[in-house]
Amino acid sequence: MSMAGRAGSRGRAAQAALHLGLVLACLAVLLPILWVTRVAVVPASMSYAPGLLPELSGENFEALFAGRFPRSYVNSLIVAAGSVALAMPFAVTLGYAFARFGTAGRAGRFAVLATQMLPPVALVLPAFAILRSLGLTNSLPGLVLVYGALNLPFLTWIMMGFFKGIPVDLEWAAMSDGATAGQAFRIVVLPTALPGMAAAAVLGFILSWNEFLFALVLSGPRTATIPVALAGLQTSNGVQIGTVAAGVVLAVLPLIVASRFIQRFIVEGLTFGAVK
Amino acid sequence: MARITLDRVSRVYAGGALGVQDISLDVADGEFLVLLGPSGCGKSTTLRLIAGLEEVTSGRISIGDRDVTDLRPRDRNLAVVFQSYALYPTMTVRANIGFGLRMRGMPASEIAARVDQAAALLGLTPYLDRKPAVLSGGQRQRVALGRAIVREPEAFLLDEPLSNLDAQLRAEMRAELVRLHRSLGRTIVHVTHDQVEAMTMGDRICILRAGRIEQVGAPLEVYASPANMFVARFLASPPMNFLPARLEAGAAPALVLAPGVAWPVPPAHAEAWGRAAGRPVMLGLRPEDFHLEPAPGRIACALAVTAVEALGPETIVTGDLVAVPGLASLKARLGRGQVPRPGESLTLHADLTAAHLFDPATEAVIPRPSVPQPVRSA
Repeated sequence: MSMAGRAGSRGRAAQAALHLGLVLACLAVLLPILWVTRVAVVPASMSYAPGLLPELSGENFEALFAGRFPRSYVNSLIVAAGSVALAMPFAVTLGYAFARFGTAGRAGRFAVLATQMLPPVALVLPAFAILRSLGLTNSLPGLVLVYGALNLPFLTWIMMGFFKGIPVDLEWAAMSDGATAGQAFRIVVLPTALPGMAAAAVLGFILSWNEFLFALVLSGPRTATIPVALAGLQTSNGVQIGTVAAGVVLAVLPLIVASRFIQRFIVEGLTFGAVK
Repeated sequence: MARITLDRVSRVYAGGALGVQDISLDVADGEFLVLLGPSGCGKSTTLRLIAGLEEVTSGRISIGDRDVTDLRPRDRNLAVVFQSYALYPTMTVRANIGFGLRMRGMPASEIAARVDQAAALLGLTPYLDRKPAVLSGGQRQRVALGRAIVREPEAFLLDEPLSNLDAQLRAEMRAELVRLHRSLGRTIVHVTHDQVEAMTMGDRICILRAGRIEQVGAPLEVYASPANMFVARFLASPPMNFLPARLEAGAAPALVLAPGVAWPVPPAHAEAWGRAAGRPVMLGLRPEDFHLEPAPGRIACALAVTAVEALGPETIVTGDLVAVPGLASLKARLGRGQVPRPGESLTLHADLTAAHLFDPATEAVIPRPSVPQPVRSA
């Protein structure tokens, strides 16, 4: 065998090993999801039965919809969307001030992240106490408020990053073109930052959508979100694994849609074409 | 009237970093002034101070008869073109060009007419409905210019507008900017680090270093009479050669480069340079002051050639003086077809009547006839 041939076969072996590794890694990520999907679409009695797809059935979804799940789905949508809508205006303005004017200094910018550094358990009791004094426990507005506050630091930092990526020349150009600082922000900077705002909003939505601890403590039976509702299916009679699986499948759907959006926004880039 | 006056303007940044210091400059109405200097010299800062995008720490700025020091950028009626072009990425070319008019509340029909006119002038008509992202560098540059022109401002401030273009396009845009200046007749302040732009475009050049003005004057005047070694070095490429020497007085004054190597001072300069007699000086000779042909007054010197850059129209030769090894590396500019080889010994003839003497301590020129006193500011 020639040198080139040996090198070629060694190259192919390395390629094959690489792809085998990639396939295994993909399986490690995908198998649980695929298995949950499988459990969701087979009859409850066959949840643990051998075989890939012994029988297809919608009974798990029927059981799910017969219970409180539809309500918790709507609750989750309201809470996730509401908290993002509440936090974004603050995150955008704060992020812009941080990025452009260095407001609050480096220490102040890190202080904003303080709540993210504490374990959530340490925050949930103060949050409960505050909501109780406001009479907002067991209510969706209460959850929106708390999730908004939890999202704010994180969204602020994301927005700060995006605003830092927008050249200050754009604002300078707008201002020497006759805009006030406020107009330059509204007419030039905000539209340019729109993809970043969308990406941040989607990330905030996902965080709120999946949050469990605060929802468990702060919500009541009528205001439970999806994670709480699914946890409620683990009853003293055992875990209704088929129904849980059906709930998980439905809970993940919006996230898959959302992550497609995020990708597009981030790949599209932020200021492409503004500067060479 | 758009005469721009800077009166002892300084800009100090938080933390004490110096932007510009004590700049006094007078740009005449309709003048094309080039601010030239290496990066970090304060030329862009000066432009932003005029535009109002940065606040002065001290000093006053006026445009025409108005003191604009405390006015917002929008109230100064200047147009700025940025190096990055700073086109609004979410708007079409049409909206970009019309933005300034929209901000001033002009009726839509008049905006449309003016935008169309500017687009036609700059050859942008086919691209009016496109976004900046799909335009080429040259087209973006034109949009940025269009955005400035359409407003009919009192003056244009251009911050390295050509530096992102390739060489050929840059040459075209240089000519186009000069043409625009002539047809619009407005004051232009143009920032650049490119000596060719400075020499070919400006009515006057203002050379800055480390936040201070080094010299102001017409391009050829500054070239012929640099005020100091920095200007002499910066304004041409390759820069002026500097040879450390000692000026010996006497019946026949001479520049002594080394024991036994003395170049006679041209009689025309003897009196002026005599003031520096007995002191160390820096002899400045431009690469184009070396010639292959001897002539009366030229001083023959042998050069050990170390490098040759044949550019076609000219050849840049680098070498050491054979008589004084290790004194300084010299560059000489030879004509077309004169291409020596590295390692060769080449006899050149230096024209000392074109030379300058500088004080090595202060780097300032030692004035001589036909060299007017350096202009500190206008």
